Amino acid sequence: MALIAIIDDDPDIIEASTLVLQSKGYDTVSASNPTDGFKKIMELQPQLIILDVMMEEPDDGFFLAQKLRRNKITTPILMYTSVSKTIGFEYAAGEMVPVDDFVEKPISPDELLNKVENLLKKK
Amino acid sequence: MDTEKIPRVLVVDDEKGLRVGTGRLLEMEGFSVKTAENGTEGILLGTREDFDLAIIDMKMPDIDGIEVLRKIRKSKPNTVCFIATAYASYETAIEATRIGAFGYIPKPFSPEELIQQLNKGYSQRLLLLESEKLKKEREENLLELAGEKSRLNAIINAIISGVIVVNKTGEIVYFNHAAIKNLNLDELNIGDRYEEKMPQKVNDLIEEIISSEIKTQKSLAIQIEIIKPNELIAEIICTPVLHPDGSFAGVVLVIRNITEMKKIEIIKSQFISMVAHELKTPVAAVQGFLNILIDDRFNIGYEKQKEYLSRSVVRLSSLLDLVNDLLDISRMETKSKKREIEKLNVPEIIDNCIITLELEIKKKSIRIIRNTLQQECNLFADSNEITRVFTNLLSNAIKYNKDKGSISINIEENKNFIIARIEDTGIGMKPEEKDKLFQEFFRAKNENTRGISGTGLGLTIVRRIIESYHGKMEVESTYGIGTAFTIYLPKSYK
Repeated sequence: MALIAIIDDDPDIIEASTLVLQSKGYDTVSASNPTDGFKKIMELQPQLIILDVMMEEPDDGFFLAQKLRRNKITTPILMYTSVSKTIGFEYAAGEMVPVDDFVEKPISPDELLNKVENLLKKK
Repeated sequence: MDTEKIPRVLVVDDEKGLRVGTGRLLEMEGFSVKTAENGTEGILLGTREDFDLAIIDMKMPDIDGIEVLRKIRKSKPNTVCFIATAYASYETAIEATRIGAFGYIPKPFSPEELIQQLNKGYSQRLLLLESEKLKKEREENLLELAGEKSRLNAIINAIISGVIVVNKTGEIVYFNHAAIKNLNLDELNIGDRYEEKMPQKVNDLIEEIISSEIKTQKSLAIQIEIIKPNELIAEIICTPVLHPDGSFAGVVLVIRNITEMKKIEIIKSQFISMVAHELKTPVAAVQGFLNILIDDRFNIGYEKQKEYLSRSVVRLSSLLDLVNDLLDISRMETKSKKREIEKLNVPEIIDNCIITLELEIKKKSIRIIRNTLQQECNLFADSNEITRVFTNLLSNAIKYNKDKGSISINIEENKNFIIARIEDTGIGMKPEEKDKLFQEFFRAKNENTRGISGTGLGLTIVRRIIESYHGKMEVESTYGIGTAFTIYLPKSYK
């Protein structure tokens, strides 16, 4: 089964997401900050990355996504979003985030599993 | 004859008998008379005083009557003058009237003849005075009007809002200085076409008003970013100007600089966006657990169920703290909570705070060191607010401290301030973290702060309370060593 990396600074979100993914037989690995997340991704080469937007700029989820792409990591990224990144803060066109899909929190197990399945199939 | 006012007559004649006789006759008839015995004296009197009437003898040894007449007419044009002469001739009569004599009295004259002439002259005098008065009033009105116009100009030029008037053919016919400034124009001239000077969006509005069939007093408004980004934002309100008969005269534009207002709006909406994020985070975590618990597919064991429920309770209680902090901030902003100012003893307040935080202090085995020598340090303030300040600062000093660390508390006073210093032996802050310390919702996140909970509003509240008392706060921090907060609170309440 595919290995999925979950990077989120909220341990409760990691816990719930892990449980949902493991119920379908996926293996998971998690990190609670972008630095650890980057290390684990480089080391374990997961088939999918779930990445929270995380607010701590500049070291946030977007930053990590760009860093991964710069390091030629083409693994699909599913981004967990909250409100602040979609309302109020706008990104310039060239700064579009290199992620493959979004899931808005709170996360519904079915939506998460559907999106994960689709992204893994594409790959 | 006017009984209210006595007509004043000047008689200029070199012949004493005639002068005195005429004088007496006129006084008997109710005139007030002054006499001059030659031309020089006649000019002197006639130009100095405003006589109603003057009778001037044509032939005098020094200056002749025509010259006297000319001088008086020049100086007092409303004095009605008669020329009297024994050498009456058609030519002199014409000459006298040409210069402005009202009548021509041939000598010798009968008293009746003279009085009749003078009465006619006096009626003329009254007419002249009346028309003079009207003329003066009219002039004053015009002056007032001119004054009103220049006053309006001064007012319109002084107001901060820009004003531009465009006539119905599209020419700019009026503008003030603020209009140039608020639209960031290089220059503007009367007669310019509006479409060459105004931003396109404003042109559209003016065009809409000019071309619309029915002209109502309805205004159209628009907000435009004149200098990007957010350097100059203007609100432009276009209103049709109608003549009193309702016909269309043009468009008046009022241009307000709303940059500062907009900036505050942006800050507010960013704050709301941040609040929404902060509120949503615990909700998302709790809902994540509930979604799993309610779904039979996941088949979770009893122990895990208990764990998820208790983790949810923790998240909900931190959500409640956050909502309470937000309400406190909102109360501070709207000043809706009434302050109860009383005499407070700061060491005592700090002791009470330490008692409420005892559990947390014991959990981390933190040592409290009181360096305060004085038992009494009084200030006048609201007890709840000052307690809140010290609770938040001490709670941070515990949360961000090391296990078995210490907190030193020092309280001093000078003439005007109580100075309290709370120093911990905690994880400290990196300079970039310190810079963001007072930002709403900022919480330092690094390997050392994992597991530390908080709303991110504690110091915001502390700062707002201290500032509301006109106090100040200083922060020193060394990463890995500790942080010290020093607060200055005025002793008296203003």
